[in-house]
Order: sequence, then C-alpha cells, then structure tokens
Amino acid sequence: MLAEYGDEAKPLAGGQSLVPMLAMRLARFDHLIDLNNLGELTGVEHTGDGLRIGAMTRQATIGADPLVASHAPLLAMATTHIGHFQIRNRGTVGGSLAHADPAAEYPAVAAALGAKLEVASVRGTRLMEAADFFEGAFATSLDGDELVVAARFPTWDDPSGFAFEEVARREGDFALVGAAVGVGMDTAGIIRRASIAMLGVGGAPVRCTEAETALLGCMAVGGDLDEADIGRLALAGSEPTDDIHASSSYRRRVGAVIVARAVAAAARRAVESSREGCDV
Amino acid sequence: MTRGYRSPDPAAVSTGVEASEAAGRFVGQSVKRVEDRRLVAGYGQYVDDVRLPGMLHAAFLRSDLARARVRRLDTTAAAGLDGVVAVLTAEDLNHYVDSLRSSVNPPDLAIVPGHVLAPGDVRFVGDPVALVVAEDRYLAEDALELIDIDYEPLAPVVDYEQAAGSPHLVHPELGTNLGASGSGPDPGLARVFESAHLVVTETFHQQRQCNMPMETRGLVAHWQRHAGRLDLWASTQSPHELAFTAARVLQIGEHQVRVHMGDVGGAFGQKVYSGRDEMAVLLAARDLGRAVKWIEDRRENLMASNSARVDRLTVTMAVDADGRILGAEIDHLSDSGAYPLGGAPAKSAQLVSMFPGPYRIPRLGWSTATVFTNTVGRGAYRGPWQMETVGREMMIDLAAQRLGMDPLDFRRRNVIERAELPHTTATGRVYEQISPAETLEQAAEMIGYHSFRAEQAEARARGRLLGLGLSLFIEPTSMGRGALGAEGAVVRVEPDGTVTVSMGTGAHGQSLETTIAQVVADELGVEMERVILRQGDGTPYGFGTGGSRSAVIAGGAARAAASEVRARIGRIAAHLLEAAPEDVIVDRGSAFVAGTPARQVSVAEVADAAYRRPESLPEGVPEGLEHTARYRAPEVTHSNAAHACICEIDSGTGVVRILKYVVSEDCGNMVNPMIVEGQIAGGVVQGVGGALYEWAPYDADGNPRATTLLDYVMPTAAEVPILEHGHVVTPSDTPGGHKGVGEGGAIGAPACVVNAVNDALGPLGIRLSRQPLTPDTIISAIAEAESR
Amino acid sequence: MSDRDRGHPEVSVSVNGAPRRAVLEARRTLADFLREECLTTSVHLGCEHGVCGACTVLLDGIAVRSCLLFAVQAQGAEVTTVEGLAGPDGSLNPVQQAFRDCHGLQCGFCTPGFIVSVTAFLAENPEPTLDEIRSALSGNLCRCTGYQGIIAAVQQAAAQTLKREVLEP
Repeated sequence: MLAEYGDEAKPLAGGQSLVPMLAMRLARFDHLIDLNNLGELTGVEHTGDGLRIGAMTRQATIGADPLVASHAPLLAMATTHIGHFQIRNRGTVGGSLAHADPAAEYPAVAAALGAKLEVASVRGTRLMEAADFFEGAFATSLDGDELVVAARFPTWDDPSGFAFEEVARREGDFALVGAAVGVGMDTAGIIRRASIAMLGVGGAPVRCTEAETALLGCMAVGGDLDEADIGRLALAGSEPTDDIHASSSYRRRVGAVIVARAVAAAARRAVESSREGCDV
Repeated sequence: MTRGYRSPDPAAVSTGVEASEAAGRFVGQSVKRVEDRRLVAGYGQYVDDVRLPGMLHAAFLRSDLARARVRRLDTTAAAGLDGVVAVLTAEDLNHYVDSLRSSVNPPDLAIVPGHVLAPGDVRFVGDPVALVVAEDRYLAEDALELIDIDYEPLAPVVDYEQAAGSPHLVHPELGTNLGASGSGPDPGLARVFESAHLVVTETFHQQRQCNMPMETRGLVAHWQRHAGRLDLWASTQSPHELAFTAARVLQIGEHQVRVHMGDVGGAFGQKVYSGRDEMAVLLAARDLGRAVKWIEDRRENLMASNSARVDRLTVTMAVDADGRILGAEIDHLSDSGAYPLGGAPAKSAQLVSMFPGPYRIPRLGWSTATVFTNTVGRGAYRGPWQMETVGREMMIDLAAQRLGMDPLDFRRRNVIERAELPHTTATGRVYEQISPAETLEQAAEMIGYHSFRAEQAEARARGRLLGLGLSLFIEPTSMGRGALGAEGAVVRVEPDGTVTVSMGTGAHGQSLETTIAQVVADELGVEMERVILRQGDGTPYGFGTGGSRSAVIAGGAARAAASEVRARIGRIAAHLLEAAPEDVIVDRGSAFVAGTPARQVSVAEVADAAYRRPESLPEGVPEGLEHTARYRAPEVTHSNAAHACICEIDSGTGVVRILKYVVSEDCGNMVNPMIVEGQIAGGVVQGVGGALYEWAPYDADGNPRATTLLDYVMPTAAEVPILEHGHVVTPSDTPGGHKGVGEGGAIGAPACVVNAVNDALGPLGIRLSRQPLTPDTIISAIAEAESR
Repeated sequence: MSDRDRGHPEVSVSVNGAPRRAVLEARRTLADFLREECLTTSVHLGCEHGVCGACTVLLDGIAVRSCLLFAVQAQGAEVTTVEGLAGPDGSLNPVQQAFRDCHGLQCGFCTPGFIVSVTAFLAENPEPTLDEIRSALSGNLCRCTGYQGIIAAVQQAAAQTLKREVLEP
C-alpha cells in the first residue's frame, strides 16, 4: 500500500505521536495504514547474538519482557522513561524508531547498542545500521514505500553494564537531555568497549565517539576514570537545540552531567555484573 | 481525613464567638461530598455532554499573527462546504455589541473596544476572525481550512515593559497602549529612606500563566423563537453574569434568558465573565434560530482564553538596625494583553491595598500601570493580586539577608500580634479577626524550623543545596461590595419534607452542593441528604462562585433563609403538638417538645400541613414553607496563612524537588475541614506550578510558545509535595464565623517556593527574582555565579 | 446521503458489556465515538493530544488514551469506561469509593480518567509504593486537588483491594 500511495499514506503504529499531530491538524495524510492488527510484527525473540523485536511490539511489553531485561537491559531501562504507562500500552518500538523524535528514548538506545533495523518494502527487505537510519529530527533514511518491521538489538558480552539517564521537566515528559550508555570490561575491570548516545541534544541520536574512545582502557571503578571529564568531552563542540523548555547552553552543560552520571552508573553495573559472574 | 495540626490552644485564639454556635451535626465536619456520587460513577453532566435536537457546532478561525491587517477574507469556499450552515465575520456580528463590559464593569472592560470578531485587523495570535457553524465539529474544522485569508503583517507590541513607549498601538481606537495608571505617593517616605539603617530595592517578575481548568470553556446556546427565549448551558462560574451578558448582547430582557447549570470542570477565574467568543456564539445562535454548541479546544484555551500573572513589581523597603520595617514604596506594572477581562486596573488597586499584608508597615507609597500588548488578554486567576505577596515576601527574605538576620526572626519582629488588633494598615485596611503571628509559629513548628537549620548546615557542608522558604499573607475574601456584595437564597421545604436551596452560585469544584447542604441541614434540623442545592435558571440573582466568597456570602444567605424557615417549622409544629413554639426543638427531621421527645411531628408532616392542609396552620403563619433571603457581607473578611517548605536542588541539573510543605491557615470556622484542605492543596500546587513549572511565553514576533499540555507544563502527581495542614481558628464576625479560603493556597505558594530555592542557592551567592525557576534558570544562574 | 453511502467503515465493539455498532468516518476518534454514539460521556476531552489523560478507557483491559485511537481501531474490542466500573447495583468499585472517601476530586472532570487509570494500575500492581503510585498517576492531569486526595485514594484502594483478596480469596 505504501508503494501504491507514496507520500499520501502514512503507516500508523501506536499513534501516540502521530495522532496528536493529526488532531491538531498539523499533519494530514490521505491514507493511514493501520499496522495494529499485524500480529507478525509483534514479539520479542532471542536470536543468539541478540534480540529481534517486532516493530509493533508495545513499549509496555518490552518494559516487562524478561528477555529484554536480561539481553538488552538498556532497552528496559529506557522504557520506563517513555511517557506514561497508558502511552506505553500503545506506543511501539518501530513507531518510536521511525518517528525519530530527537528527544525520544529508543532511537538513542538503538544508536548506543548498535541496533539494526529490518526495513521492508515490496522490493524486499534490507537491514540498516541505526547510525545510517537516523538522519535528523523526525527524519530517517526510510524510502517512502518502506516500513520498519523489526529492530535487532545485539547483546553485549559480559561483563558489561548499562545506564539510561535523563532529565525532563516532569515525569514522563520528553527529555531535555539524556544519555544511553553501555560499558564493556575485560576480566581485569578495564573498559574495552564503550558506547554513549545522547538524546535531546541534536537532530538525531548523537554518538559521542571521542568520549567513548577516552573511556577505553580506563578502570571501570576505582581507577583513573573521570566521569565528569568524559561528560565534558561528550558534549564538546556540540550545538544542542534551544526550545521553550531548555536553552542550548543548558543542554550542553547538563548533558555533560547526565553523561557523567550514566557512565558512572554503567561502569558500576559492569563491575557488579562481573561479580555476579564470579558468584556463579 | 484532616491531617496535621489543630489549633494548639483554641482558647488562645477565640474572639468570643461561642464554639457551640459554629459546630453542628454537619457544619464543622469532614462530611463526604454529595457531588462525588455522580462524578466518580461517570455521570457528571458537563456542557459538552449536552445534546439537543438539530444542534449545530461552532469553531473559530483564529489569527496566527500577533498584529496584522486583514487584506483579504473570503469565506465562500467554506460556506459552500456540505454541512456548513454559516460562516460569520465581524461584518455580521460586530454591530450588535458596543463594549465588553460586565455587570461589575471594571475600568478596562469599559475602555477595551468591543469587537466581537477581529474588525479588519488582528491584535493577538488567537484573535477570533470568523465563526463557522456546521452540522458537526469535524466539518466545522474542515471549513476553517477553506477560509481564504491574507494578512499584511504589522510590527507587534509583545514586551509589556516596552509597551507604553511603543510607537505601535494595540488598539488604534485608544491612541495609547497605557490601559490605566495611578499613584499614591507618600511624601514622608523620602525622609524615612534617607535616615533608615538599610534601604533595599529589588524588582520581581512573574510570568504568564494559564488557569488551565481541565474542562475548557464551552457554551450551548439555543434561541427558542417560539418562546422568545434563550436557553443556555455553559461552563461558567457565574450563571447570572452570563445571563446579564446574553441579555445585553441580544438586547432582550434577563427574564428571557435561562442558564442551565450542569457540572463545571474547573475555572479558577477564567469562567467568571463572558468574552468575545461567547458573545459570537450567542449571536450566531440567535441569528440561526438553532442550538449552537461551542467547545473550546485545548490549544484555543492556552492561546485565546484569558491568561494571568504577567506582573513586574519593584519594591523598595526601609528597615532599621533591629529589622523593623519603616516603610516601603512599590511600583507595579502589569500586562493586560489585547482584550483583558475582569479588571487588571482593579486588581492593581487590590494589590496595593494588600501589600502591607500581615506586617506593620507604617508607610507605603505606590504607583501602578497596566498596558495593552498584542498578546492574549489578562483575566482573573486565583488570587489575581497575589503579586503583592510574591514581592513582599521575597523582599522580606532579601532584607533579612542584607541585615544578616534569620528570615523567621525578621518576620517575628514585624508580624502583627493579636494584642495589636484591630490594626489599620498604611493602605487603610482594618484587620480584626486575624492570627498571622500564630500561623507563623505553627508553620515554623510543623516544618521543624530550628532542626532544619542544623540539618541544612550539615547538608551544605556535603555540597547539597537544601533550602527553606516562608511566606505569610492576608487573604481578602468575600468582598461585600457592588455586584459581589450580596447573595440570595431560597430555602424551600417541599411538600414531602425534602429541601431545595436555590442560589445564584456557580460551583465548579468548590463542593457547594455539600457545604450549603451542611449549613442548611444544621440550620433546619434535618438530615443532610434531604437537602439539595439548585443553581442556574430560576435562582435568585447572585454573582456566582469566585473571590473566595461562597462560604461567607452564599453560606450567609442560605443560613438566613433557612433560619426563617426553621422558625416557621417550629411555629407550625408547636401548633400541631399543642406546645409553645419556644419549647419545640427540630432535629434530625423531627420537631418535638423539649423534654418529651415522644411528642413529635416530622418535618414532612409539617410541610404537608403547610401546603396541603392550610386549615391546620396556626394563625399568622403563611401557607407554604419557603423563604427568600439575601445576605450582604461585610466590606471584606480577612483570612490569613503561613506557608513553609523545604526544597532540595540538584546542582547538576537544576531540578528543584520540594521535600516538605506545610500550611498553617486561619479561615475561621470551617464548614468542612476536608474541603478546606482540598482548596488549599489545589491552590498550593497551582502556586508551585507558577514558581517552578508553568510558563506561557511569546516569542519576539508574538507567537505563543506553549499551546499544548506538553509545552504548558503543569505539575503532575509525581512532582508535587505531600502537604501537611495546620489550622488556627479565629472566627469572623459573620454568621457562622466563616471566612473565605479558596484563593489562599495560590497566593502564598509562589513566594514560599522561590524563597526556599533562594535559601538553597544562598551559598552560591545566587538570588533569583524572576519566575519560573526552571532547571534552565537555575543552571544558568549557577553558571553565571561560577564565572564571577 | 447516509454515512454508509459514503463508504465509511463499520465498527462493532463492546462498551461496558453492551454491543455497539456504528458506521462512521475512519477519522472519528474512539473518544468521540464513545461520547457521541455510545453516550458514555464520562470520557472527557481535556486536550485531544494525548497528555491530560481525561479520556483514558480500558481497551481489552488495558488503559489507553481514547483520543489517540480511531474508533475503527477498536473493532472487536471490549471497551470499559468508568460507567462500567460500578457494580450492577450501583455500588462503587474500591477505586471509586476511595476517590470519594479521600476527597480525590473537586470539579470531577479529570476523575473518570484517573479512576480508569488507577483501576488498571492496581490490577497490575496491587501493592504499590508511594513512589510507584505517584509515577503511575503522572499520566493524568488534575488542576483542582493538587493530587493530595488522589494519592491518598490510591493508597486506600490498594489497601482495601488487598484486604478483600485476603478475606475472600
């Protein structure tokens, strides 16, 4: 149908962002294609190297799914920050990713974990890296006839730890600024893998590669890791957005604080996970 | 359900009114609400629930420019859409209306041009330009998109602090942007300021806030041609004010207007007066001769319903070395927007009058002005003059800090003590039954003032930002003047002994169906569930519900009417029981002879006699069992309260968390303590919203930036503190000893929260004076302090 | 010309246990359908953009914003509004009763959405902590109460539900 109607059609997932825009007559489509009855687009599935989550899987399902909690804990952590439980009851992972709100949680998680998106059209199915998928605020590299059908979130090897931190005006509001962080260690407690993705600072989830590189080789806890420094590095040179809720300079300064807190928490959890590993 | 404190020593605050006079079977008890039975079951009837045969739906085309000339307005395509009944513009409607005045007629309403729809130019974003009436709301909105309109944009007047000097005029008809101004200089102040130990000046700003009732405005108007009668269903605080406006606009008699009152989903001042939108709908309904429903949507409510609180107050205060206030000078500027409703100038006068608050301030000089801007009009919002408390209480903290004095000690030194009553303020107000010193002490005790200071010192040493704020105020309630001065009540015992009370009130959350029933049931000696309140059509004239007036004025009227009916019940019962009237007691629905309860007759039997057996009545007692009374309130009834709160600031994110909040208030004898505390809590959270969260700003081009509930940030249950309530009871000298309490929470809270935040930020050398204190505001202040 | 002639879809749902069927435009929201066609007017519209929560209903037992759903999306579903929560004899459910007991409402406009949300929340989490309660309530806005009575009502309802389950397992 997308192939047939092109720009005049819009797939409707959970509708928690799209329908308000329609109700306020800020957007209009001749055709809405309801995906809600497509059972084949729902479900969380363990694929060996990670999770494959159907695009129409509700956020509430993801938040409560034991597979998600154990294999993609960052996704579970982020879910509690999405809106309110009534929103999560309808909102979907595919909808959130395809909507690409710069302040939304899932795009940042996808960027941080290096998720891949399964994208389908009548022409076939392709797999896209999250980094290539997000192009800017509410903009993705999806073609007009394409639909996100699933997202694949890779599981990180242990010991690893994750944290999702954000600051919002109120519980459930979009983040003013936030960070999704993953830290992987070797058995000596040295950080060997790091991922930091920020939300609310730019047009798309932003990976902070310099800060990630600076984390590599640090002791996760009790060593030379200066979280505040990592935070500053993460925001260095960034030009976050300015809006009614927070200025660009707020997002830059507080973004650094949020990254620092998330890095500290992720590193702590990585160490905890290695201890749990020893206990077993 | 009453939590927290009671007066520690009621005798200490008794003014001689007997306690027994206040307490009743129902009055004084936290009786559960009558309204709730239907509301929790989902059977409330709000205006949007009204459905009439053939009813049409209206929607406004609103300007999306702040100031512009309309170059072209073509409604042909819209009018041609299937299902559209009419598209009305200024040409169709404006000639009917000469001004926006109300029955209270505050000065600004008299001078603002009475344009129902935009008259060839638009004056704020949201200005109504055309009204579409269609078979259904979806179609009406479709038609709005077909209206062809072209504007020539003009430079808008957005910043109220620059408006008076702007070459651009909001209302060209007026020749100025200055709405009203006044001053009352005190020539003696100059010498006081010269010789004072310390003179402090600071300017405080409050930001634009929206009343944000959960139910937007709405109206169903049905012109009944056959009867020459207008039937209205409205979301209103004041059914009789709506009838006044409808009659004036349609040039019919008020007896031709019937206002049906259903449930009203909150208002907080926004639904007192009827403005341009309501007038347009009334006129459309009359011209079309069919029922027309208009339900405002939330974006309209945030951009085109009156907003409030855009105030600047400069305070200069002189104090001596001991921390005694010697005098003050204030300069107030407010933003009236384009089409204000409800009297910004009148509120400025109130603000000046209330500025001395609960303190001895021997001298006060003042000046005020309000200006028009190309923004949404100002309206009443819970405690519309509360900038006086914001400015005074923040200044007191500032003066105390400059003196190196603890803010509680500073207040103790200046607060009016009981022994000084009656006290006349520098602005001529006379306080008699107030207790500011007692509420201050109670609040300080409840918040744990002294132990907090130790905890704070320890927390500061560990880098935590903890602060405590105080705020005291006097709340002028139940104004006994003009259209607001009196209320009427008809108390009628029906033939079966049930009781109908008819009143001109417009309850919209204040629980009057409960509290009036409590008052009347006690006065008559019947069960509460036998009493119902009827509002709206057919009730005696009254100004409605607002201005913290219902407990005193409506309660007074109900009490007066019931008291006469009670006397008649006694006389009839005495006659039936063959006893002396003075020996008859009426209680729990029965009249009996004192000492011999077996000799009794039910109120239902008395009523039956009054209506159906007139021959059984004693001589001189009229048939029927009803009485109409009006109650005229004293000039003003003063309540007072002290707020205290503790907050913690996350120095990394600028997020403020309120950890504890206490209110000690004195509203005299409470009709229903549960409801009193509910009113206070609601007000406090609105005040917390105003201090920390809510803001409806405009950009430089005059575009409103908060037109959804994601952008207009009001607190949720996750952000609010859990309140603790204390009560000091000093009865007023009105019947029942009640005082108003509806607005106080919102008056006291902003200053209390801001003072707490400033106390927390003290170690960083930061003092903020401009609301709201968003995380952004706080972080930028911290950044600035660091760079100093 | 009737709606059906225009080729509009038909929707059939169960509303508070009663079957409802209507032919309506695909763009009609579930909230408007419930209010206009089913006359379940407890479904209040406080914002129509998914923030205030006043229109919350249960869709197959799950709390959702009915202003963010199209009526046709509810095809075949069971919808419960606050009118459907009381017992057949009019007795209030524990959440409704608690709202009354604790002064959890004033104007009452937001109340149906709160009661529906809280009913769903307590079904999932019958023993919530205070923080969980506050968080769960954050998707519904109230302008009158300052949330004090609402928070207390959820605590009471949770305690009562628990007690009842213990007494009548």
